[in-house]
Amino acid sequence: MSCAAIIDAHMHVGQPGVFFAPETTLDHILYRMDQLNISSAICTDNQSLTNVSMESMAELRSNFERSGSRIHYLAVYDPRRANECIEMIRECQDWAGLAGIKIHPSFHGVSAEDESYDGIWQFASKNSLPILSHTWSSSDYNPIQRLSTPERFERYLKTYGDVKFVLGHAGGRGAGRHDAVRIVNEYPNAYLDFAGDVFCHSLIESLVDSVPVEKILFGTDFPWIDPRANLSRVLLADIPTSAKQYILHENALSVYDLRCD
Amino acid sequence: MTRERRELAQQLQFFDCSIWLGKPQGFPLADELLPETLASTLSDRFITGGLVSHWHGNTISAQDVNTAVIQGIDGRDNLSAIWTGLPLFPEEDGELPGCVEPPSCVKGVRIFPKSHGLPLEHWSVGTLCDWLAKRNMPLLVWHTEVDWQSLYRLAERFCNLKIVLETQPRKILYHTRPLFALMRDCANVLVEISNFVGAGFIEYAVSNFGAQRLLFGSFLPVNDPLVSIGMLLDAEISHADKAAIAGGNLRQLLSEVQS
Repeated sequence: MSCAAIIDAHMHVGQPGVFFAPETTLDHILYRMDQLNISSAICTDNQSLTNVSMESMAELRSNFERSGSRIHYLAVYDPRRANECIEMIRECQDWAGLAGIKIHPSFHGVSAEDESYDGIWQFASKNSLPILSHTWSSSDYNPIQRLSTPERFERYLKTYGDVKFVLGHAGGRGAGRHDAVRIVNEYPNAYLDFAGDVFCHSLIESLVDSVPVEKILFGTDFPWIDPRANLSRVLLADIPTSAKQYILHENALSVYDLRCD
Repeated sequence: MTRERRELAQQLQFFDCSIWLGKPQGFPLADELLPETLASTLSDRFITGGLVSHWHGNTISAQDVNTAVIQGIDGRDNLSAIWTGLPLFPEEDGELPGCVEPPSCVKGVRIFPKSHGLPLEHWSVGTLCDWLAKRNMPLLVWHTEVDWQSLYRLAERFCNLKIVLETQPRKILYHTRPLFALMRDCANVLVEISNFVGAGFIEYAVSNFGAQRLLFGSFLPVNDPLVSIGMLLDAEISHADKAAIAGGNLRQLLSEVQS
């Protein structure tokens, strides 16, 4: 396959803190992107997930500029600081490189269907901004993930049918993936990415068989996961070349309204 | 891009230390890998053979599982078996390493210290470790089954025993600080790479500890082998190091096992 421009639709920048990884910086990711022919990325920074601020947003804008307009970014919405975050996003919404909104119910400890998310869905609808959320499966060893299981997002998917919504991590490695697939088939505005360690055997082939190919986005979850872990899964998957092109490139362009330079 | 990748994957002759028969536990959407589909599943993903284990090693009796895994590989030349081990004292009956002499196709032993209630200490598993070391047979263990301090002590005490630390069945990512310190200090600890996927891990491990410390693993049928294959195909290490990690190291390890 000759793919001129791969887009990584789900990555992070910055020290994760909770583990050691040899590569975490903007320079590291740009190096890997060049190596792997990844032209652009959609990024959230670890600082914003913890404590989003105008400073962290300014850092993301600066990364976008330093990267030669390659590392686009999402504004984190923390439902515990609803009004403050919406005001902040309003201030940034015309900044170069801003590609949408990120929510993370498990990290912020607020379930995805909670009414404190209504404001940001409304804002996204009015301003034509896509939303990417962390989604995962519930498990005994990681119970906080119950706040981000895919079916919890349906309340807002129904209400805000004009908001493009990406189920990050495709509902995770467990039973959540069943719901993610169902939701993507049921809601025209729902998409999924398989960033992270959703390493299930033949996942790419299975997704292509079970949801419209224009709804599947390639993502890495750098630096949690090395971009190389997910890339060959697509390039060597037993799916048509045209499907690879959609997954690696076209779909991210469309969902995040990126210009292809 | 795809053609070159495919050619390199074939050249590297992947030999896998993490192939699992039986119904995967804790992964509700994973299909069981059946003995009759084993060969085609491996060849579809560029894998030439390897070490086969059984999922129920920590949930039903070790003896039953050890019998099942031998039946599962059914004398195939490209496959060897991993048995589940228990301490040699108190002595238990049946198909257990150290209690009986295993068939020659058994090339490794895995223990489940947490699931089987075993302290990972010399007074509990030491006689089994001695038995393994005498045969140059590796000891395998999931990282979720050990505490780092005990593993460190065991690796130091049994420095002639090859210990394969497995990066499954959950992320090892959050344990990279003790993991890399253990690799630095204990040359007899090797790492299986099916979930060794943090940014830059392969290059970091090769440059700090050497390629001989890493073993290709797929974690089939839960994981897609293309994950760890992809990590190696694009790794910025020499071709010789890629070939060693892909299969050379494991083949060498198994060739040294004395039945």
